Amino acid sequence: MRGMNGVGETLRESAVFNFDGAMTMVIDDSPFAMELTAQALLGFGIKVRHTCADAAEAIKILQNHPVDLILVDCEMPGMSGYEFVRWLRRSGLDPNAYAPVIMTAAHVRRSKVSEARDCGANFLITKPFSAGVLLERIVWVAKDNRPFLEVGDYFGPDRRFREEPWPGPERRSEEIRKAEFEAQRRGSIDL
Amino acid sequence: MTIITHNRRRSRLSTLIDQPGGVSVGTALKRAHVNLAEYEARSRQVIEEQVSALAAMTPPSGPDEASAALDKAYGRSSAVIDAAGPFEMRDICTAAANLCDLIDAAPEDQAFDWRIVTVHAQALRLLLTLPTEADDARAQVLESLKDVLKAKVPGAKD
Repeated sequence: MRGMNGVGETLRESAVFNFDGAMTMVIDDSPFAMELTAQALLGFGIKVRHTCADAAEAIKILQNHPVDLILVDCEMPGMSGYEFVRWLRRSGLDPNAYAPVIMTAAHVRRSKVSEARDCGANFLITKPFSAGVLLERIVWVAKDNRPFLEVGDYFGPDRRFREEPWPGPERRSEEIRKAEFEAQRRGSIDL
Repeated sequence: MTIITHNRRRSRLSTLIDQPGGVSVGTALKRAHVNLAEYEARSRQVIEEQVSALAAMTPPSGPDEASAALDKAYGRSSAVIDAAGPFEMRDICTAAANLCDLIDAAPEDQAFDWRIVTVHAQALRLLLTLPTEADDARAQVLESLKDVLKAKVPGAKD
């Protein structure tokens, strides 16, 4: 598995995590899929506090209750999981707008790939996935300390995972300005 | 384009997981497997229900009904993946995902070849009845479904 800021790093069997008291919300229109997710989470010591059959129900709860972790199905009738996460990030609800969000999907339609990337979720897991993968991703999103960015229509964690420099010429204006400033500063010091 | 950066903030979840107590990864996974195992029989039942519903679907009578019928078939196929996902039924998931791929790639301006749904329902039924050790037969079923995908969706992944 590829390591990417910790993603894909297998958890040690002896590593200990404490999820007691974590306010967790699962949103899924399929009662059976919801039950399977809740049972896996229960095994990890996570008691699901809010189970919602649709996004509208979740929104009502999020207005008044702080939540520590959200798992949401991508494809749901009415407001989709993608639309829900986009709403959440722009909701202005603190701390819920910044809550770790894992999206789950049985299948991602080709037309929704960019939506999945741009809605502001921390992670998308496609099924089938094992309990081990789910636990690994939960630990990963818990420790995900990427800053949140507002860029045009996007509001969510910084989507740039890689820390290695881009091999091509720099195209980001703020990075170009920073490099110019640094060059000028170095020039001043040399003088 | 303007970029507004909000400071990194530590989630409450990250504080909670490092608190004293809790369970080890090994124990957590064992418990999760035990919990899920109780649902395996129900999972199989859900899969069989969805496959039967897929097999019973009739082609839409006109273009007006086509989109809704395809959405329904897509939903049923996704439900198969939902139910099979945690139980190592990878072949079932692969067959159902193949159907999702085909429906997803169906051009809106052309009639969908409904035999695709029937063939996938039959293949799923066969996969459900094959003994666990029949690896070659399973591989053959999946290969033939993949061929359908390749034929219908140019550039489909291998």
